[in-house]
Amino acid sequence: MILLLAVLVGLLVGLGRAYWCKQPYKAPSLEVIWLAVVAFLPQLFIAYMPATRQILNDGLASLSLLGSLALFFVFAWFNRRLPGMPILIFGLLLNFVVIVANGGWMPISLHTANLLTGKDVLQFVNLGSRFGEKDILLPAQNIHLEFLADRFLLPAWLPYKAAFSLGDVLISVGAFWLLARPATKLNALTTESVFE
Amino acid sequence: MNNKLARFTLFASKINRQHVQLAFAILALAMLVLGIGAPSGGGSAGPR
Repeated sequence: MILLLAVLVGLLVGLGRAYWCKQPYKAPSLEVIWLAVVAFLPQLFIAYMPATRQILNDGLASLSLLGSLALFFVFAWFNRRLPGMPILIFGLLLNFVVIVANGGWMPISLHTANLLTGKDVLQFVNLGSRFGEKDILLPAQNIHLEFLADRFLLPAWLPYKAAFSLGDVLISVGAFWLLARPATKLNALTTESVFE
Repeated sequence: MNNKLARFTLFASKINRQHVQLAFAILALAMLVLGIGAPSGGGSAGPR
């Protein structure tokens, strides 16, 4: 939800800028869009559809998640010259590294999960079990690269609660920038110079 | 039947190509951020 919010806000800012400058809004020209669809399909089944996410065992599901992330990396790399995409790729890599380091799932500590749900999560989830869509509940001392895990929480006064990682922050910033500042020749050249 | 087909063709021709491109770009980006991000939402948190 919070990631989709970044997409929505980025689009609104981009449309506002275009309206302000009296220019038509130009969508970012993404390449190999079909690859994003292919990469997302495994996650649709193992994480987002309640009816199917229990079909695969956790080992195969985590392998599917890693494969999906690898495909998303290829998709992002094809589009690396778009503004915001380098930040997004960096966020992807941070999430990928911490997921690999913790057995194929994004770790969340018991403390963060308790704060997130507002109650003792051990009453309904065991340590080492999947938590939410892509997370695994672990004691903080067992988490590798804990600073990259889902450890940040939205402010308590917000009605929606979510725990997110540093990688998620960078992904949100990248997605926002991609839509808020559509590609121009100057932007493309600047981004290209970073990666070439 | 021909009338319906003609009306559909007229409707389709009015769709701006850039709008279609924008819709695909938004869809791909939504899949990308949902796919590579891993936040744990309060609404979805809990046993799987």
